[in-house]
Amino acid sequence: MPVSGKDEPQHHIRLKSGDVGRYVFLPGDPGRCEPIARLFDNPRLVAANREYTTWAGTLDGEPVAVTSTGIGCPSAAIAIEELKNVGADTFIRVGTSGAMQPDIKPGTLGVISGAIRDEGTSSHYLPIEFPAVADLEVTRALALGARKTGQPYRIGIAQSKDSFFGQHEPGRMPVANRLKDRWSAWVAGGAICSEMEAAGLFIVGSTLRVRVGGIMQILGHHDQSPMTAEEKASVSLDDLLTTAVAGLRELIAHDRVEAGSL
Amino acid sequence: MSEEPQYHLQLRRGDVGRYVLLPGDPGRCEPIAALFDSAEHVASNREYTTYTGLLNGEKVSVVSTGIGCPSAAIAVEELIKIGADTFIRVGTSGAIQPDTPNGALAVVTGAIRDEGTSSHYLPIEFPAVADPQVVDALATAARRLKIPHMLGVSQSKDSFYGETEPERMPLAGRLADRWNAWIGGGAICSEMEASAIFVIASIHRVRAGGVMQMHSGDGTVDRKLLLGSAVEALRVLIEADRNQQQWP
Repeated sequence: MPVSGKDEPQHHIRLKSGDVGRYVFLPGDPGRCEPIARLFDNPRLVAANREYTTWAGTLDGEPVAVTSTGIGCPSAAIAIEELKNVGADTFIRVGTSGAMQPDIKPGTLGVISGAIRDEGTSSHYLPIEFPAVADLEVTRALALGARKTGQPYRIGIAQSKDSFFGQHEPGRMPVANRLKDRWSAWVAGGAICSEMEAAGLFIVGSTLRVRVGGIMQILGHHDQSPMTAEEKASVSLDDLLTTAVAGLRELIAHDRVEAGSL
Repeated sequence: MSEEPQYHLQLRRGDVGRYVLLPGDPGRCEPIAALFDSAEHVASNREYTTYTGLLNGEKVSVVSTGIGCPSAAIAVEELIKIGADTFIRVGTSGAIQPDTPNGALAVVTGAIRDEGTSSHYLPIEFPAVADPQVVDALATAARRLKIPHMLGVSQSKDSFYGETEPERMPLAGRLADRWNAWIGGGAICSEMEASAIFVIASIHRVRAGGVMQMHSGDGTVDRKLLLGSAVEALRVLIEADRNQQQWP
């Protein structure tokens, strides 16, 4: 039985049909919604409830929105489910992440092609063998966005974990050895960055038949060594946000061509 | 230079190009090689048959993997050792979604790791993902040749009869439940090698993708469409690599 009626606002995100268009950015941090929305035309705050803050506006005349998911797949799954209920069908996860490969410089953007399901939520949807895969057109558009803004980028796999401190301070966990072994396996497998929502969004997106992709700013180093002052100075969140918006413009243009050719 | 031939494939460096098509059936190697220029039979050992020829002047090969991820993993490992770095799995599959047109092509974006081999490489949470450039080349090829196709996830299983006759298996209930889950997740085709090929390719930092012709119902399908699209995708990749084009 649906939690919310057709014209009632969705239970958690407090949005109704018509509040957002089909394209939605998904940062984790509610505080990151406004800076993203400032890159839209006519941005306006639509709703704020719990960790879910939504702004809407337009890009190239197309309705677009940004909704924060909070940290982790449990709250992110709720966000994408309820956004689909109110008509959204294309999602771009945007946020920061930890480095996993020695040859990736801090500040590089990771365009996420798939995600390691190192979390609990997605197994409530599909058996663990099912791959968490990003939509090819969203991936392509985000990479084209990075070319347009001139930002260095890599296309690859993200680790989606449930424990932030399990990654950053594995040694103090009772399952320390398992955490370290698995981290080594992800690195050997070629994973480029570590974050906390992509796998849940990709799997839920597959079951809902909606398009999902992601772009992450990669911070830190694969061996957890701190960033130098110079590295910190060279990284700006604006580079991520402007690139994500450039990528969404590419996708909107692509979708318009496809719609015209039908 | 490795003078000793690879243990199973019986191939040495120079015997194959960097681009390799991977059918399951050794009998499908010759018809694929007939689409190459100057194709020659290079080796046959166990289920592994190899032909090498040219496409757009570039050395390309076709190597059969046999059925299943255990033998496919061996093929990919040994091919990488002798210089191959771009793989396209090509073969037949069962359609998973209702209303799939018989004979349509599945361009595989990722694979369900419903098999035992890939877990000898990486924990099961790691996604078996195709290389986006190879996926795009396969989609471009199918579009150019006007062949009906769709992009999506493949189920890579270890038991053929567990899929086609699940009711007679002691695990019938579990097989049926999981099959329904793959439908719910949007998987489009069922085959037996893609997930291990993708996972091993991730570890070796090489490119892999796959195109599968989907059978739905009893009608015959035109195999030339499958083989032609795989060859055309190789041409797309060869030209992109020659022009040092970054994807996308």
